[in-house]
Amino acid sequence: MPSLRSAAAARRRILGYARGRTVHLGSSLSVVDVLAEVLRRVHAADPGAPRSPVVLSKGHAVWALYALLAEHGHPRYTDAHGLPGHPADGFPGIDVATGSLGHGLSIAAGMAEAFRLDAQERPVYVVLGDGELDEGSVWEAAMFAAHRGLRHLVAVVDVNGLQQEGPTREVLDTSPLDRKWEAFGWRVVPADGHDADDLASALDLAEQADAPAVVLARTVKGKGVPFMEHDLAWHTATLDEARYADAVRGLEP
Amino acid sequence: MRTAVAGTLAELGDERPDLVVLCADARALALRFAARHPERSIDVGIAEANLMGVAAGIARTGRPVVVCGMAPFLVRRAAEQLRVDVAGPGLDVTVLGVGGGVAYGTLGASHHAPEDLGAVAAMPGTRVYSPADVHDARWAVRDAVGGAGPAYVRLGPRENHLVHAGDERFGPDGLLDGTLPADVLVVAAGATVAPALAAARAARERGVAVAVLRLVQVWPFPAAAVRAAAHGATRVVTVEEHDTGSGIGAQTALTLCGSWSGETAFLGIGHGPAPVAEQEGLFRHHRIDEAAVLDAVMLERGSM
Repeated sequence: MPSLRSAAAARRRILGYARGRTVHLGSSLSVVDVLAEVLRRVHAADPGAPRSPVVLSKGHAVWALYALLAEHGHPRYTDAHGLPGHPADGFPGIDVATGSLGHGLSIAAGMAEAFRLDAQERPVYVVLGDGELDEGSVWEAAMFAAHRGLRHLVAVVDVNGLQQEGPTREVLDTSPLDRKWEAFGWRVVPADGHDADDLASALDLAEQADAPAVVLARTVKGKGVPFMEHDLAWHTATLDEARYADAVRGLEP
Repeated sequence: MRTAVAGTLAELGDERPDLVVLCADARALALRFAARHPERSIDVGIAEANLMGVAAGIARTGRPVVVCGMAPFLVRRAAEQLRVDVAGPGLDVTVLGVGGGVAYGTLGASHHAPEDLGAVAAMPGTRVYSPADVHDARWAVRDAVGGAGPAYVRLGPRENHLVHAGDERFGPDGLLDGTLPADVLVVAAGATVAPALAAARAARERGVAVAVLRLVQVWPFPAAAVRAAAHGATRVVTVEEHDTGSGIGAQTALTLCGSWSGETAFLGIGHGPAPVAEQEGLFRHHRIDEAAVLDAVMLERGSM
């Protein structure tokens, strides 16, 4: 799957979901390139092997996941009707129900423990938000994964710098993220979260690391829609037809 | 109770090669399992939220998981992970909570969990057990791990007095002590079974026909068994080491409402301050001890 092209199509879908219902637009648009690359790797793996799980810990960005799954051919996600606002069990392509922030890294660590017991080498991917890192349970899980040497655990943080009520540095400053993760025993790989090649290289390094690894993906909230970029007003939104037309204009194929 | 259950857990580890046991720097229950199956025993440190999330992750791969810890920290600090990550998806995770109720006595309110059974019962698809001694504790742990979906077992931190015979056939409907129909039915579970049985003996000596329904599985609540046992009684007394508003008293009231009429007394733990005391002293303070149950039983006879 050519991830950038797919991500552009996914962005159009995300905006389409917001016609008539409220959607977490800003985060879905910031994380969609990251998720596109993660899903590309998962689906490119040996089809005979069990698929690697993807835990979207920042569950409010599920619209990016729905859109990419639609691009992968899941018809359930062609429109937003009946889709929950956070990942739920029982939907195709959704590996773990999430939504309460700070849960996903622990769940992914548990999966990595189980795969090690089963002598399976497959990676477990977990995608977190930078605002989500406020949750203490994230750091409980980070310590645990390093202590247990879960080297097939691959985290990606969508570092868009904005959380619900403002810049992360103003709400609760979690910087410096690289040194924090390193101090917790993780290998840290920085990446441009909107560059497919850079993300692919970063995830290659993360998967080959000798310890749990985190890709710190620098992103832009609202990426791809100029009037939404860096603007918290689009954290959640419903689009009327005029706004939708404005938003989607720059994303024509 | 802890020693007996530690043995049961080790046996289950032998029988179930996929079973994983997790704890959070409180290993007493898991020690024997860990000695036999070190690769399937994980201590996450003092981090209960992560503990429950890791349990969910392991269980999502198809392995059954047992989580051991102190009840107050499992059911309160890790409540969201237990509710959302374990109970919501119906995963095979059994939580063994040591010291629910007021069993930790003088350690104080932070270490008491008088709401644990009701809190977990309110989570979707859970089975909840409150055994009274080593016999029903062994059964409860085996039944919890052997069944499908999430379960919670409240365990005592010390060796409780034996109240059951070793060869009794435990089940979801509990066990009846005495004969039916009885004038007074007492419904008890866990550590209040002993005072309930003692009070019933004393009441019988005074000529009152009393039956005691000893519950081990408290959720799903055995409504049909309670309704059948209450049939013909003029008074029903419930006694529990639990918040009165969300435990077996409340469930008994819901069960009997509209289908039975008579006098009721619901003995349990309220929300007021309690003195610094061991479990027995706290039972006296909360009026869930033998004397309080006897009072509640005899009141019907007008003799107290």
